[in-house]
Amino acid sequence: MISNDVVTDLGFALLLISLTLVVYRVFVYLQRKYTKPWLNPMLLSILTLIPLLLFFKIPFEQYYQATSPLNKLLEPAVVALGYPLYQHLHTIIKQWRSIIVLLFIGTFIAIAISFIMTILAVSKYDIAVSLSLKSVTTPIGIALTEQLNGNNSITAFAIILAGLFGALLGPSWLSFINVNSPKAQGLAIGAASHALGTATISKVSYEHAAYSSLALIISAVITAIFSPLIINTLVHFL
Amino acid sequence: MFAHIIYSILSVSFCLLVGKSIEFFLPVLPASLYGMAIFTLLLHTRLLNAQRIQPCIEWSITHMALCFIPAGVGIINHFELIKQHGIALILIIFFTTFLLLTIVGVAYQRQINQHELTTNNEPSNDK
Repeated sequence: MISNDVVTDLGFALLLISLTLVVYRVFVYLQRKYTKPWLNPMLLSILTLIPLLLFFKIPFEQYYQATSPLNKLLEPAVVALGYPLYQHLHTIIKQWRSIIVLLFIGTFIAIAISFIMTILAVSKYDIAVSLSLKSVTTPIGIALTEQLNGNNSITAFAIILAGLFGALLGPSWLSFINVNSPKAQGLAIGAASHALGTATISKVSYEHAAYSSLALIISAVITAIFSPLIINTLVHFL
Repeated sequence: MFAHIIYSILSVSFCLLVGKSIEFFLPVLPASLYGMAIFTLLLHTRLLNAQRIQPCIEWSITHMALCFIPAGVGIINHFELIKQHGIALILIIFFTTFLLLTIVGVAYQRQINQHELTTNNEPSNDK
């Protein structure tokens, strides 16, 4: 026998998932109809759902638990990014050395500058650690935050923001500074805005998707290995 | 079409499963990134049929952003934090994200331009 509580919980969870899907679907429809770049279905869904949850006084933990199936789909979705990567593998193999050097320099500078700026602005070690790990995908960012005694919820928040900034404003900013090649745009957005940026830019072209996925993997490896080193060295000097 | 969907789901699940076992022994990267590398490798070595996988994968990549909505709504929990530390944190995140975008984007674009210059010059060198 199933108790009434379980049935209502399940019903409520299904309701929240359906609500998320419907909101997303509506914005996808609007984006296809009006083809405006700022009509980003993901961002607009988030901005619609937050006031709805606040209005109906649904705690975020409950919403997050209910929509965990969507969150779990992220893993297979990231695996699927291997497909555009495969399509461009032959050109990538020719340039792998320069791509790794470039991502190493970029990631190194970004971690160091984020850490130093945060220390100078709020002088809190844990927040500085969290902000310096924001350009990497969430599972790695959280694992490193724990290792370096950062603040988990701030890391999660910073990762989402870094992802949104790069995903929504990245392509226009890069075009503005004359970075027009899909390869360079993909690489930059994958390095700065992890899977969220990759997911958004993958709709533009398969070349974007391939280079963004590549930067996602390489930056993750670089950050995982070198961020403890960079941060521990900086702590000595500051 | 139905067979293609099953084939795609099985392929991706298999790669993710292998990724999970690698993560267990070598926890440097999350399972999904190992899985992605394995998926690329299996497609490249033609152990997986790219043509059968394509329609399904294209659809899932188009709608991948949906998976980020629950985490994005999580900003709801950080209103206090934003109030407390002011706008400084957001500005730092904004600035450093654009810095990283610019460094990687400009450097790689320059490399592509140089490469195109040299390949364009090659035929004239042959003459």
